[in-house]
Amino acid sequence: MSLPFAAIIVIIIALVAGALALSAFIWAIRTKQFSIEQLNRGALLIFDDDEPVGTPQDMVFTDNSTHGKKEDEKAG
Amino acid sequence: MAKKKTKKPADPHGEFRGQRTEADQERRIVIDDAARTPTVLYFGSGIFWLLVGSLFGIIASLKFNLPDWLGSSAALTFGRIRPAHLNTVMYGWASLAGAGMIVWLTARLCRIQLQLAWVHYLAVILWNLGVLAGTVAILAGYNQGMEWLEFPRFAGAMIAVGFLLFAASIIQTFRKRNVDHLYVSLWYILASMIWFPFLYVVANLGIYQGVIQAAMNWWYGHNALATWFTPIGLAGAYYFIPKVIGRPIYSYYLGLLGFWAFALFYNWNGIHHLVGGPLPTWLVTVSIVASVMMVVPVMAVAVNHHLTTVNHFRMLKFSPTLRFVVIGSMCYTAVSVQGSLESIRSFQEVAHFTHYTIGHAHLGVYAFLSMILFGAIYYIMPRLARWEWPYPGLIKAHFWMSIAGIGIYVIALTVGGWFQGVQLNDPAIPFMDVVEYTKVYLWARSIGGALMVVSHFIFAFQFVMIIKHAGPRRFAPALFRESAPMQREEREP
Repeated sequence: MSLPFAAIIVIIIALVAGALALSAFIWAIRTKQFSIEQLNRGALLIFDDDEPVGTPQDMVFTDNSTHGKKEDEKAG
Repeated sequence: MAKKKTKKPADPHGEFRGQRTEADQERRIVIDDAARTPTVLYFGSGIFWLLVGSLFGIIASLKFNLPDWLGSSAALTFGRIRPAHLNTVMYGWASLAGAGMIVWLTARLCRIQLQLAWVHYLAVILWNLGVLAGTVAILAGYNQGMEWLEFPRFAGAMIAVGFLLFAASIIQTFRKRNVDHLYVSLWYILASMIWFPFLYVVANLGIYQGVIQAAMNWWYGHNALATWFTPIGLAGAYYFIPKVIGRPIYSYYLGLLGFWAFALFYNWNGIHHLVGGPLPTWLVTVSIVASVMMVVPVMAVAVNHHLTTVNHFRMLKFSPTLRFVVIGSMCYTAVSVQGSLESIRSFQEVAHFTHYTIGHAHLGVYAFLSMILFGAIYYIMPRLARWEWPYPGLIKAHFWMSIAGIGIYVIALTVGGWFQGVQLNDPAIPFMDVVEYTKVYLWARSIGGALMVVSHFIFAFQFVMIIKHAGPRRFAPALFRESAPMQREEREP
């Protein structure tokens, strides 16, 4: 039984996709993306010292407004 | 003693922390500056297509109420206007606005300036030309005849090249990142950079015929959601909910488990669109099983987002971003559970080929994805434009009109569509009686749609104002209510 051309193409593509997914997973393990240490601090990545945990970010608008004012002043 | 108290800050590390704070601010400003023009171009063109697509949508909807309206022009008949609406909102609005959010978010999460920023200019031009050429072709009657793939191949090719350029910059930014760990939003973004171009190119190969073509069509149609639109929405929700609240995501472990379960199950779902079709039964059954298994990643997201927001719901009174994103996230849970149910054969016996499906599609693309994109744009733009939204009252109008519009739309089509299906299954009821029955629901659909269209023009007006630095200058955030629960003193100019 011979496979239609489209089926051969799709099977090859599926194998490549599977290999990519597997290599991404292996990469993640090798770089310790799932280590306990990284998982414990991963959630804190979106915060830093001037946007810390405990500060609602939509209530603060100081950085850019100050920066903008400085530029405005420079522009005269 | 008293003198010492006045000189030294209460925090023993205050001085050091102050330096770090300034460095963090500067770092973020440099990162935002590099991402500004590409992000604004993506947002601006996305909003343009939102307006065009919405107008096509309301025209298509009104044709159910007034079938002869605009009937003399071939370009404005339902068979052309409807795919023009679908393609402009998907490849124009949702894709371009989503691309803008991804550009900004990737640079922020990788803590580095956007790499290969110049390719985005080319990408924006190609992408927009592709959508424009495809839309004109559809209106002129040139259509590939497959849902979600109506654009002619030359238009699809322009979009594909634009996407590959966009993805190249995102992947390069990721490679140069200044962080070891990938935040969960980045997992979704990076996955979509590989999944979607792959999907789009394979679907456009043009080597499929007959039943295989139908299978490929729905493999693509559903996976466009799985590999591009849903990752955009979830990446945004995972960033903006904890960020705006100021609280880490409830369970980071659950977040990553949700991502891998999502990657495992979602791509099998498409064939459930062909229940009852001429496909092997096992193939459809596998798809139904995977659709039901989607409950696992969906619940992981739902539990995580809910438990992050719990005890902070009062903030929804103030923050436009949070309100849009939380509503979007709740609708993700609703539309996903509904989708799992809809895949089941006995459910489809009633709901398939009715207005119920249209309500479901809008719950996903509008109530989930568009709401998150609106929230993201409300957060990102002031930081890029260095100008606050000038009219908070118009944000409120945008929110309430869009939420009322989509609410009316989805409820009307869900209820009307279900009873339409029940009646269609009853051979004793004449077909025209079923059509008469749905008329009231179709009027409700048009009213809901009209509210959404008006809200989009309000949103676009605000966007133009913030770009032009027009309107009253605000030194405080544009919130739904002026009296924020905290940080009041920091918000004074």
